[in-house]
Amino acid sequence: MVEFSNLTKAYRKRRVVDDFSLTVDVPIFGFLGQNGAGKTTIMKMIVGLLAPTAGTIAIDGLSSASPEAKKRIGYMPETPYFYERMTGMEFLQFCDELYPHTGKNRVDHYGSLLRKVGIFAARDAEIRTYSKGMRQRLGFAQALVNDPEYLFLDEPLDGLDPIGRREMKAVMTDLKHEKRRIFLNTHILADVEEICDAVGVIHQGKLLYAGGVKQFCAGMPLEERFMAVVEAHEKAEKHEKR
Amino acid sequence: MKNILTIARNTLKLEVRDRILIGILIFALGYLAITLFLADLVLKELPMVKSFGLTGIYFFNAITALFLGTTSFFKDVDRKVVYFILSKPVSRAQFLLGKFFGLCLVLLLTSAILAVAYLGVVAYEGGGFNAMGLLAIAMQFLEMALFLAFAIFVSTFSSSLLSIVYTSAIFFLGHVVSSLVADAQAVGITGFKLFLVKALYYIFPNLEKFDIRSMAIYSVPEPFASFALAAAYAAFYVILLLSLSVWIFDRKEI
Repeated sequence: MVEFSNLTKAYRKRRVVDDFSLTVDVPIFGFLGQNGAGKTTIMKMIVGLLAPTAGTIAIDGLSSASPEAKKRIGYMPETPYFYERMTGMEFLQFCDELYPHTGKNRVDHYGSLLRKVGIFAARDAEIRTYSKGMRQRLGFAQALVNDPEYLFLDEPLDGLDPIGRREMKAVMTDLKHEKRRIFLNTHILADVEEICDAVGVIHQGKLLYAGGVKQFCAGMPLEERFMAVVEAHEKAEKHEKR
Repeated sequence: MKNILTIARNTLKLEVRDRILIGILIFALGYLAITLFLADLVLKELPMVKSFGLTGIYFFNAITALFLGTTSFFKDVDRKVVYFILSKPVSRAQFLLGKFFGLCLVLLLTSAILAVAYLGVVAYEGGGFNAMGLLAIAMQFLEMALFLAFAIFVSTFSSSLLSIVYTSAIFFLGHVVSSLVADAQAVGITGFKLFLVKALYYIFPNLEKFDIRSMAIYSVPEPFASFALAAAYAAFYVILLLSLSVWIFDRKEI
């Protein structure tokens, strides 16, 4: 279970995440919002890349930025950057060595991860030769290297072609069946509708809705419903300012 | 500790694949090879060969340290590769120390390669095993470690280009600081101005402490105590600079 309590991130006076409180306990949860809504900032705070200005994030009761919690999570950043002169296999090994060793045959483990994300054939090629889609897949693979219970994926389907998107969604569904919990950031509504069990709608750092996808849609197409919620919020804010 | 070693090993592995570094090393080896020809044509005497060789190694190591120190850490943060690392059970201090020790390993490796080439040249020219030359290279390595720590420190709060400017400035200041107070007094500077000069003298590291090239060239034995003192001096500045770097990096929004 992931609990956000009064989470706030401010840069000077501008609040990019504003008093965000939420408890998530579903297999696949999607953060939904426009560009700049605060999704990436929240994810960076979850994995300890940014420190909250106020509030806390707990994963099964542990502070999400603590080393104990980090052993249990996998993170894939938006538009991942790599060490270009490393091979895919070397990169996975490097990432894995940053965790306490589990003792199983790790090389086989890296191979199976690369197979899972569909880039096993390029395992010994330098990352600088990878296409954008291959980099995205490698970013996904490294998030799985420690067999995490919780996965935090920032725009994981960006840059993938239709076949790649389908494959990655299938991987996520498999992970769900392995009882792992997945959080993903996306602004692609069709993906959310297809794979998420619940969503959190974020706008200007504020949580506007959290709950089931079907309940949110209430018979309307997701895009229409999303726009209606965002517009209603903006209208209410304008009214309040007056 | 394990994470620091993993990051250090990875840094070494990546940097030795860097074409710029390989280029600098090849150029340095070429320079030492040229010493062999110059020895017969121009340098004539063994001390000149040693001077030419040791100065060359110092120059190329300084370029390598400047290049590594101002780019490696900065690039990882700027290009966000660090996201992969710091989202794992790795602290910022471990990452920074891992980078520093990794870059020190790279410098140690290049110093060792150049030292072997230098010793070979001196032996070929009839100088036998130049132990003092080896000690001079070891002292240069200590200076470069300090230089690296300063470059990483500057990289925690400025861009790569500015880091080059600042680090080059400290390199220059570090070599003139030892005579700064005496020079100031000689030209009649007193009062607050002299206080400022003395402040500079105490704040900036005195890099001349690591220069025993003249002794190595003329095979004047250097007491072990002065080597130990230089090592302690370098360690003091390195610890200070890395502590400040960790303090700044811990607070940096990435």
